[in-house]
Amino acid sequence: MKLPGSFADMRRDVAFPMTGAALLAAVLIIGGAAYSAAGGATADKLVTAMLIDAIMVVGLQIYIGNTGVFSFGHIGFAAVAGYAFAVLAIEPARKSTVIRNAPWGLNEVHLTPVQATAVAVLVTLAAAVVVGWGLARSGAKSGSVSAAVITLALLFVTHELALNWTDLTGGDRAGLSFRIGNTLEGRTAIYVVLVAVIVVARLFAQSRIGRLAQAAREDNLAARAMGVNPVAGQMAALLLSVLVVAVAASLRVYDIGNITPKFFFFDYTLLTLVMLIVGGRNSVTGALSGVVIITAGRELTRRFASDGFEFFGASLDAPVVDWLLREGLTQIFLGAAMLGFMILRANGLLGDWELDAWLWRRWRRRKSEERPEPLAEVAPVGLHAEVDHEGAALEVHDLAVDFGGFRALDGAGLTVAPDEVVGLIGPNGAGKTTLVNVITGIVAPTTGWFRVGERELTGAPSHDIARAGLVRTFQNLRLFEALTVRKNVELASRVAAQHRPGSHPAVDALVAEAGLWDVRDRRARELDYGSARRLELARAAAMAPAFLLLDEPTSGMSDAESDEMIRTVRHMAAAVDAGVLVIDHDLNFITGISDRIYVLDQGQVISVGTPDEVQADPAVQAAYLGAETGNRHEAQAGDGDV
Amino acid sequence: MTELAQNVIDGLGRGSIYALLALGIAVIFGVMHLLNFAHGELITVSGYVAYWVFSAGLSWYWIAPLVVLVSVGTALAIEQIAFRWVRGAADFTMLLTSFGVHFVVQALFFMYVSASVRNFDRPRWITNTFDIGPVTIEVFDVVVIVVTALTLAATAAVLQRTMFGLSLRAAAEDFDAARLMGVKSDRVIRGAFALSGVLAGIAAIFWLMRAGQTTPSAGITPMLKGVLAALIGGLGSLRGAVLGGLVLGLAEVLLRSRLPDGIAGLTDGVVFVLIALLFIFRPGGLITVSRAERV
Repeated sequence: MKLPGSFADMRRDVAFPMTGAALLAAVLIIGGAAYSAAGGATADKLVTAMLIDAIMVVGLQIYIGNTGVFSFGHIGFAAVAGYAFAVLAIEPARKSTVIRNAPWGLNEVHLTPVQATAVAVLVTLAAAVVVGWGLARSGAKSGSVSAAVITLALLFVTHELALNWTDLTGGDRAGLSFRIGNTLEGRTAIYVVLVAVIVVARLFAQSRIGRLAQAAREDNLAARAMGVNPVAGQMAALLLSVLVVAVAASLRVYDIGNITPKFFFFDYTLLTLVMLIVGGRNSVTGALSGVVIITAGRELTRRFASDGFEFFGASLDAPVVDWLLREGLTQIFLGAAMLGFMILRANGLLGDWELDAWLWRRWRRRKSEERPEPLAEVAPVGLHAEVDHEGAALEVHDLAVDFGGFRALDGAGLTVAPDEVVGLIGPNGAGKTTLVNVITGIVAPTTGWFRVGERELTGAPSHDIARAGLVRTFQNLRLFEALTVRKNVELASRVAAQHRPGSHPAVDALVAEAGLWDVRDRRARELDYGSARRLELARAAAMAPAFLLLDEPTSGMSDAESDEMIRTVRHMAAAVDAGVLVIDHDLNFITGISDRIYVLDQGQVISVGTPDEVQADPAVQAAYLGAETGNRHEAQAGDGDV
Repeated sequence: MTELAQNVIDGLGRGSIYALLALGIAVIFGVMHLLNFAHGELITVSGYVAYWVFSAGLSWYWIAPLVVLVSVGTALAIEQIAFRWVRGAADFTMLLTSFGVHFVVQALFFMYVSASVRNFDRPRWITNTFDIGPVTIEVFDVVVIVVTALTLAATAAVLQRTMFGLSLRAAAEDFDAARLMGVKSDRVIRGAFALSGVLAGIAAIFWLMRAGQTTPSAGITPMLKGVLAALIGGLGSLRGAVLGGLVLGLAEVLLRSRLPDGIAGLTDGVVFVLIALLFIFRPGGLITVSRAERV
């Protein structure tokens, strides 16, 4: 991965994140040091634990935050790393008393803590590759239950192994421990790791692969349709996050000086998850805030529970209070924090607010106040794309698709020339969307094939089809809602830069062309309907596609908006040099935009020709307009556009 | 052969309890897409009820119906206090809510009741056995299997024959469509929790009879078994949940008796590996409830 190519904007994606990360780390480190200085040995321990937890939670955030896949298993990885570290770093003399029968002569091994950490990281990464493969195989995506089960299994399997493989782990009672005084001294190592980890986490989120992972998090299907292979982003995020978690686990074991099976199990999973969720799992700033808040809350509740109610000198010594506030209060606090945040603020305190992104926006606003940027300057400059399509046509031949007993497509075929705008119309349930779903790899055809030029694409995964130049929009709008307008387009542009050699339309030009320049920093979910439709078009165009497949681009639009859409589609398609296949059942729109029209009915093409020819065809009038025959199709097929 | 027959009976006895728990979880998942990690709390609460009733000198004849009642009441209370506020939220918001409920309830018992184990007597007949040829059968297993079969039959009848059952199945199929057809979501969801409470209550009776004790964290194991069984069966499929429970029970018993001595202690670990493999290769579980994504 060459570094500069991974980032779209050095200032926004590298300089500011590093500054922000440094600030965050500084706040944690200086705040922690101040509290330690004021509070003595107990405070010192608390702060050390908090800083290590912070590393661990940022590790979790790298995976869960960027991919949206929920993992219960990261503490299982921590267990693997923790044991590997302990087995390697404890001196042989001590090992010979606790794990005399260690396999592979491990009780003779004595590595320095740094070496032991390195090996522990490698061992854990190997485990992560296996788990990552399993997750990919199961089709893990945001919210998938199978991923939760697989990762939960990891947590339990490592725990069972730790309990039962006593030759290696010392089992439940003794565990593995360092000799007293042989543990982590001072916090320098923690500081170094913490700073590095926060910087890495922020850079990863801004990098190309991180952005691709986030796109798949927002909408797995749309991401694949934009040429993103979700597995790549998820695997990268998993390996990076496991690396961080393994280092944090080694530090935790080295700091505390021992490890037992319950050390990295349910309780710690709960603790770290609560920390991550309370602050906001989609942001590093959020994750760190969560660590601080939960650490403080736990400490307070622990004090309430042990001394009765004593707070800044004010004490309330009543038996009732003593009875109410007792051991277990911290558990209640953790459970209630999780419960409360899920009910009231499921995305955590900060959502995906990021300190450096906020600084960046402020900085740029000040800049742009100094030197206002006229729209004309950025507008249609650089809209043009040149990707060599070799004059290839899209050919679809004899497709058939069965859904159970229902034949949605029945031998449909069509061709689109490279510079042509082709319309596909038909009544509801005619199979229009199914056809687009087949040629974008979402639905597998029962028979038939399709190709672009000489390249056979039948059966290829969605992201490969998109990379080959067939790029679609969706009937029911699938934007990356949490990303800004500009980032939606930029993302597709990055995929194009990697997979579609040639020159591509400039992101800003596309945004301006779609009439979205003024709202380019808004999140996609905040857009009005018409703007959202145009954004989806701009995003597809950013792929510099050979063919744009537009699924009902004007559904829900007024006539005036439809007319405007015709202009935008034609202009963008010409600019990026793409053929267009557009589906609609709005006859005015289709005739207004198309060079040629295919009419689909009951899964078959019943007419082809210019708009005038098709409109004159009596078969079309019967089937589509339903003038003589009534609404026979609506009753039969409903809205079969799945 | 004899050993296999023995294992199958043991496995079915164990699996029946899992099936009851899994069915309760699947019913709730069906109507609101909540994977309920707090299901085990019904067992925890039931355990303390059993202990208190027993301490008052009453027998299992009193304990059993009370446990079911309390379990239903607890299920409804948890729904009112926590889950109703996250209806319709993202799946993981709900899952973590149930996680939160689990930890809060556990901590409440830990703080205000006792951290230590509470014992009560198991019914005397529980260890009785009888022989059929070379196979020794525990009376308890037979009772569990028979009662479970009756419970499942009754549940099936409720689901198939009553208006409530119809609403519930409709809601499980397509919640929004069911609401448009006039199904009252509130009533269906509460009904689903009540039903899951009944099923968990019956499972709790057997669980507690066998365990003879309870602790604040007693619900974790049954919760996990139930969740896993429901997942194995394919979440949301009611038949699948029952099947998943039986498969899990049989797998545990077979593995425990067949694994070589050295790793017999790892039975649970092996079961988890198998489940992970199942989900890697069949992400929908055994019986896949197809939910095509609309495009």
